[in-house]
Amino acid sequence: MSEAVLERPSAGFLPKWRWLSSEHPLPWLLPASALMIVFGIYPLLYALWLSLHKRNPVTRLNVFDPDYNWMKAFGDQRVWDAIATTFLYTGIALVIQLVLGLLIALLLDSDRKGYGVLRALMTLPLVVPPAVTGMMFLLMLDGSFGVLSRSLYAIGLLSPQYPILANSSTALAGVLLADIWQWTPFMVLIMLAGLRSLPKEPFEAAAIDGASSIQAFFKLTLPMMSKVIGIAVLIRGIDLFRVFDYVKVMTDSGPGTATETLTSYSGRIYFNGDFPYASTLSLITLILVIVASTLFMKIFRVKL
Amino acid sequence: MEQSFARRSLRDIAAVLTVAVFMFPLFWWALTSIKPMYAIFNKDEVVVFDFVPTLINYAVVLLGWSRAEIAIESGSTFGVGGTSSYDSRQTIVDSIVIAVGSTGLTIIIAVLAAYALSRMRFRGRSGFLNWVLGQRFLPPIAIIVPLVGMYKVAGMRDTDNLFLGYVGLIVIHALMNLPIAVLLLKSFFDDVPKDVDEAAMIDGATRWQTFRKVVLPMVRGGVAAAAVLCFIFSWTEFLLALFLTTIIRTVPVKITTFVTSTGSEWGFISALGTAAILPGFIFILLVQRHLVRGLTLGSLKE
Repeated sequence: MSEAVLERPSAGFLPKWRWLSSEHPLPWLLPASALMIVFGIYPLLYALWLSLHKRNPVTRLNVFDPDYNWMKAFGDQRVWDAIATTFLYTGIALVIQLVLGLLIALLLDSDRKGYGVLRALMTLPLVVPPAVTGMMFLLMLDGSFGVLSRSLYAIGLLSPQYPILANSSTALAGVLLADIWQWTPFMVLIMLAGLRSLPKEPFEAAAIDGASSIQAFFKLTLPMMSKVIGIAVLIRGIDLFRVFDYVKVMTDSGPGTATETLTSYSGRIYFNGDFPYASTLSLITLILVIVASTLFMKIFRVKL
Repeated sequence: MEQSFARRSLRDIAAVLTVAVFMFPLFWWALTSIKPMYAIFNKDEVVVFDFVPTLINYAVVLLGWSRAEIAIESGSTFGVGGTSSYDSRQTIVDSIVIAVGSTGLTIIIAVLAAYALSRMRFRGRSGFLNWVLGQRFLPPIAIIVPLVGMYKVAGMRDTDNLFLGYVGLIVIHALMNLPIAVLLLKSFFDDVPKDVDEAAMIDGATRWQTFRKVVLPMVRGGVAAAAVLCFIFSWTEFLLALFLTTIIRTVPVKITTFVTSTGSEWGFISALGTAAILPGFIFILLVQRHLVRGLTLGSLKE
């Protein structure tokens, strides 16, 4: 931007009031800032304030007791279990979605007739409300009349005595199935965009040198796609870490607490009325998200 | 690379099969919505096509038919009972109000911020960008608990004041969509050469006039894409709507109330579910081109 433009007198505004004119960034950013302060920053500070208070269940008053909730969370086995489940869920889903997404993207990356339609169809799961996706899989995984469950019984992968969502060792897999169905297309889409942006020359050179397509994939495609993969993993990872919808709809954290994640545990505490403890747990979720994503961005040098 | 006919056909088959696997849940869902009860709850065998299709499920959730009317219509009283309301007309209105309202609010706020972030150089610019991006990382659960408290004090819960209840949820959905809208729109503004602005301003236009009359019309496609994504995200949002509202029910929240301790009304659930998916399908096909850019907050372009 040239100096001349910056120095232009702002029409009709005295120098003192210049920040009100459209030449100044303030009026442009004010609405967004106001929204983010009032409904973003303030609630966070309020959550912090709440987490430093102990709730008296009888009087329903919050009494200042700064380490009560944090120590309670630290000693609460359910919190540790929820953290473990959250990490397990995020890790498994991320790996499966990334690998599947990359493979499907390679499969669909063709200019031949019909592939455009296939790619468009592949995006459809993305717009289904996650709560509805949870319902879809709840129906298909129903222990007695679900079509998926019955197919699994038929091929002997599952026994009718142990319906997948009612058994604490398989329930998480059932929930993951919904997540994988809905979000693998997200990876496919991003990987396809990455594949299509790759230059052609290195691949032609490799082919002339006699490299196989598998060699070309590991030596050329993957390294050149690292930026794209990094962005996709970061965005997906953050969303996976706060998973709530599928768990709430499909198992409601059960059976027992087998599928309880951090978000669903704080949700449960919230509905029980202990706002200070719920706030503490949600802040723990936030801290873990910030730490994990910062580490990831530093280690893999990912930048959005 | 030359590929043999056999290899090509093999790939075609694999591609079609893969997509078919991903389409199956949608197909099954839509199929369930036109099944009569006996076909859904058949415990002896899975009924695929061997049933008489019916639109009763849609009549109940979209037209508000009562259970007595179903019994008369179907000539059977199988499974007719209970008092729950499956009439979802108000729910669909609620969802539309929330989604349209929050999309409008997000776009107005975001388009201003995105323009300044794309065009002006000022102190704290990158800090502001990071703030917006950080907002995207914020788990909704972290702000929802204190928000309910805030709304209670301010009398903004839907049980206090229905109008403010709508406003409350609209504002939160706008906040949720703000990062994606700002960053996406900024990437569209960045695509417009700065010479355009400078030419207009040399001709004597103010910043505002330049934005309003020259640059904004040039990113119309981008604004439409951002609006569609905001609409979809608001339409599909579950957690915030579940926690914040009791009278106002958006579709994802309403649909979960159809699961009861005495059994789930899968016919009604799948009918409302199918109806709820359709607008998203239409919209997503309209913005196919900008989808990747939107989902990666403007950092990847197709």
